[in-house]
Amino acid sequence: MIELFNVSKQVPSGSETLTILHSLNLTIPDGQFVSIVGPSGSGKSTLLGLIAGLDGPTDGDIRIDGESIVTMNEDELARLRGKKIGFVFQSFYLIPSLTAFENILVPMEIAGLRDAQERARQLLEDVDLTARATHYPSQLSGGEQQRVAIARAFSNDPSILLADEPTGNLDSNNGQHIIDLMVEIHQRRGATLLLVTHDHNLAERADRSISLSDGRVVADKLRIASLSEEETAVAEVLQ
Amino acid sequence: MNFVMRMARREIRSSWKRLLFFFVCIGVGVGSIVALRSTLQNANSALVSQARLLLGADVQIDSTRALDEATLTAINEVVQSPIVTRRTDTVEMPTMARPNDESEEGALLIELKAVGPEFPLYGDFTLTDGRHFNSEILEDYGAIVGQGLLDRLNLRVGDEVKIGNVAFQIRGVMNADPGGSTGFRLGPRVFIARSAIEETGLTGFGSRARYRILLSTQEGSLDSLVTTLRSSLKNNLINIRTYKQSEENINEQYTRSENYLSLVGLVILVLGGIGIANVTRVFIEQKKKPIAVLKCLGATSSKITTVYVAQVIALGLAGSVFGIVLAKLALFGVERYFADSLPANMSHALRTGTVIQGLMLGLLISLLFSALPLLRIRHIRPNMLLRNDETPRTRKFDLVRWMTALLVIAGLVVVFSWQAGSLRIGAFFLGGVAVAGIILQLASMGLVWMVKRTRQIHSFAVRHAINSLHRPGNQTRVILMAVGLGAFLVIAVQSLQRNLLLEIDPANRGNLPNMYLIDIQKDQKEGVEDLIEEAIGERLELIPTVRARIAAINDREIDLGSGEMRGDRGRLGREYIVTYRDGLEENETIIAGQMWEPTPAAEPEVSIAEDMRGLQGLDVGSTMTLDIVGRKLTARVTSVRRVDWRRSRTGFMILFRPNVLDDAPTMYVGGLDGPVDDQSRSRLQRLIVEQYPNVSIIDVAEVLQLVTRLLRNVSLAVTFIGGFVFFSGTLILIGSIAMTKYQRTYEAALLKTLGATRRIVLTTVLAEYGLLGLIAGLIGSLAAVALSYTMARFVFEIPWEVMPVVIGGGIAGTVVLVVAVGVLASVPVLRRKPLGVLRAP
Repeated sequence: MIELFNVSKQVPSGSETLTILHSLNLTIPDGQFVSIVGPSGSGKSTLLGLIAGLDGPTDGDIRIDGESIVTMNEDELARLRGKKIGFVFQSFYLIPSLTAFENILVPMEIAGLRDAQERARQLLEDVDLTARATHYPSQLSGGEQQRVAIARAFSNDPSILLADEPTGNLDSNNGQHIIDLMVEIHQRRGATLLLVTHDHNLAERADRSISLSDGRVVADKLRIASLSEEETAVAEVLQ
Repeated sequence: MNFVMRMARREIRSSWKRLLFFFVCIGVGVGSIVALRSTLQNANSALVSQARLLLGADVQIDSTRALDEATLTAINEVVQSPIVTRRTDTVEMPTMARPNDESEEGALLIELKAVGPEFPLYGDFTLTDGRHFNSEILEDYGAIVGQGLLDRLNLRVGDEVKIGNVAFQIRGVMNADPGGSTGFRLGPRVFIARSAIEETGLTGFGSRARYRILLSTQEGSLDSLVTTLRSSLKNNLINIRTYKQSEENINEQYTRSENYLSLVGLVILVLGGIGIANVTRVFIEQKKKPIAVLKCLGATSSKITTVYVAQVIALGLAGSVFGIVLAKLALFGVERYFADSLPANMSHALRTGTVIQGLMLGLLISLLFSALPLLRIRHIRPNMLLRNDETPRTRKFDLVRWMTALLVIAGLVVVFSWQAGSLRIGAFFLGGVAVAGIILQLASMGLVWMVKRTRQIHSFAVRHAINSLHRPGNQTRVILMAVGLGAFLVIAVQSLQRNLLLEIDPANRGNLPNMYLIDIQKDQKEGVEDLIEEAIGERLELIPTVRARIAAINDREIDLGSGEMRGDRGRLGREYIVTYRDGLEENETIIAGQMWEPTPAAEPEVSIAEDMRGLQGLDVGSTMTLDIVGRKLTARVTSVRRVDWRRSRTGFMILFRPNVLDDAPTMYVGGLDGPVDDQSRSRLQRLIVEQYPNVSIIDVAEVLQLVTRLLRNVSLAVTFIGGFVFFSGTLILIGSIAMTKYQRTYEAALLKTLGATRRIVLTTVLAEYGLLGLIAGLIGSLAAVALSYTMARFVFEIPWEVMPVVIGGGIAGTVVLVVAVGVLASVPVLRRKPLGVLRAP
């Protein structure tokens, strides 16, 4: 479970301070597929970064599975990410000096997993890239690179998967494929999926859609189809 | 650990080419240290194992005077003991030799050695015709000579050579000289029988003969023999040496020179280290994103840092191993080309100790110089992957960074002190390197700044090149440092050598003598002066000299064994040639006390040269007791003189006021401007020796030739080392270009896309490296001028001249080299098609 209590983020911009996120409260239960939408500069990526502990909030508290992460130091955060959080970036960010296979292997090696090789092979198969195992990122297409990135994000079997506009650099066909893949793995493994996107069609597929504007939540909708009857009733009342 | 090792291996796989050159630098540095140390240690152990051969005995009793009856009896008593297995007596002296055939021309200064029947006690003395030396060969006035004598006097085996009053038949030519010193030699060696020496008439009064008794002893009885000898010969200015002492002396000398020379290797290594610091900085800069990704994937800063430390260790080790291979090759080269000038039977293998030392040094330098740049890893924030800005780094006081910097400096001090064999020298040397580095840096910053200010350049290429010199992540300073340092050393050595050669060039020596006559006896004075006047039309002024040793200073007797005097052993134990005269020579000035009036002294008075001041407290007012052929004479020091040795025809450390030395055994010396051409000079020398066989003549021209040759060799060696530094500089240059290849390729592609032809791009490259080379050459030559001026004026004390050819050549050479390397390294950049470059990630 991800919980945000009065989280705000300010950054210095020249001589002034710029508020990127205004006091934000949010609870995301385990296994939920959440899309975060909003115009450029609305604070989507910042929110994602704060949840992953890539940056600290100016104020407020963030808890992952009940444990506050704002007091953790860099190394504790790194270990937390290695254990619980997978990340997919818009620009893939594969390590150029490693092959596709090794890119997937790295997080497991960091965590010191025993059957890393075996798992990496399985993940590569999951994203249908077995044939590309020994290729370097520069030898892969954008879609293939992103598939490697997804396999990497899932390699430690994280309970939370964060994706920052993962299809932003891809054409629609490839983008569709990537989303299908992510959703499929999310469902198969029951991980929480947080997806930042510009694409409204994509956002529609999520269980829940959070809209940000100027650093504030302007809408937080649950998709009816994904709910039980009881939940639907509650949701309708809430909305 | 698993992750660290694997990541390190993968990273090296992809980036070793970029890092290669810097570790080659480590290799060159390690190689030169290992090769130097191995060679010197091998030479040392070869010499030590031959110490007995070099001394020619287990124990040597050495005296500059003929041993008197009492002393001989004392020695004979000791030597009769069964401890002594063999004994031989020798007499050595410099003297003149001339062909016995009076129609033949020439006379030559030789080093005569008269040996007893048991000679040599140790070692194999062979002749060029394959025979082994046997004292019977010398019987009936036979001589064994060095090849030099035959060449110079135009003689052959079987001819006769006259030494003193006796003609000796040349019976053979020797190969190596057993028991001969390896130092500077004035003339070829000639062996005759000990029994024949007195007949030559050269051992009389004033002779510079050294009398030696060589002994071999039973194993293990050396110390007791020496103790007995010393106690029975106490206070008898006789020197007793054992081969063990020679061993110690050799060890001491070699260790010192080994440590000094290794510092040169260390400079190359440090240059490599600077390259490593730079490459690590650029490398981490380029690896920012992958590092951020790793942090995103759960790797801690320390784990990632360990990955890079592991890479540094791996490459440092690889570089060191490469260096050891280089050292092995160098030793092959030494064996092949220099075996002749090194001790015989010397090993040419790598010494295990130096190999381990080399590995450790390579590793240490790699680690020390990469430590600070690697700390940057801690500051890379994973958030940069989301927000493409680089969060302004908070300029907080970074304790870890400062602690690391201190540790690095401490580490360097340790490394330098370890290599220099002394904390003081190590720290000084490191300080010197640091100051030189800072000066070079400042100079290069200044020059780059000046270039930057030069506005209104019409050529786009040159303008762009100037911009490149200070674009972000530029390599300008490190290239200037590396190449500039190399250029500096080469130019400095060359111009210093030329100044030195100019100084000793006979054409520039003005009216200094070209011949010295020594060992002239009192009753020969008039005759020699007349003879010279007749021959060259000028009357030679002969100077009286007396040989003396210091017996006491301020009434304290000289005891070379005592602790406080041991440090001055060289100055206290030597023999001084003293003279007396009324006043100062034109090259002398008084710096303390007062010169005496030109009247005879009532009591003994001396004036000492500046160099003797402070010797065991010696100064104006002190007393000094001299031993003059057994007679003690105490004199008061009344003045201290500064002697300009360069302008002197003769120079004396100790000068007496006339009167007291009149009765002392006096010999005369004199310098004269003999004929300039070799043949007439040789004829004059023959004329003198014919009439006065005991007079020795030192031909300055010949000595100068020897010195010139020596100087050439030394400066060749230093230039070679400078060349090594230059080579390392070039490697760093290539490496720096390789590091920023991606940036350059991208830039070139952009330029092409924007309409630049390949020619413009090429001109840009030419202009950039031309500028770099020019600045490096200027910095190097400025520093070289400063160094050679300082060395010339204050160390060698010779006039100094600018050497425009050397400096101009040095700058031009640097420009050509840098441009050539730059252009060659940029060819692939120029070839790439722009589209492919711009689309690449």
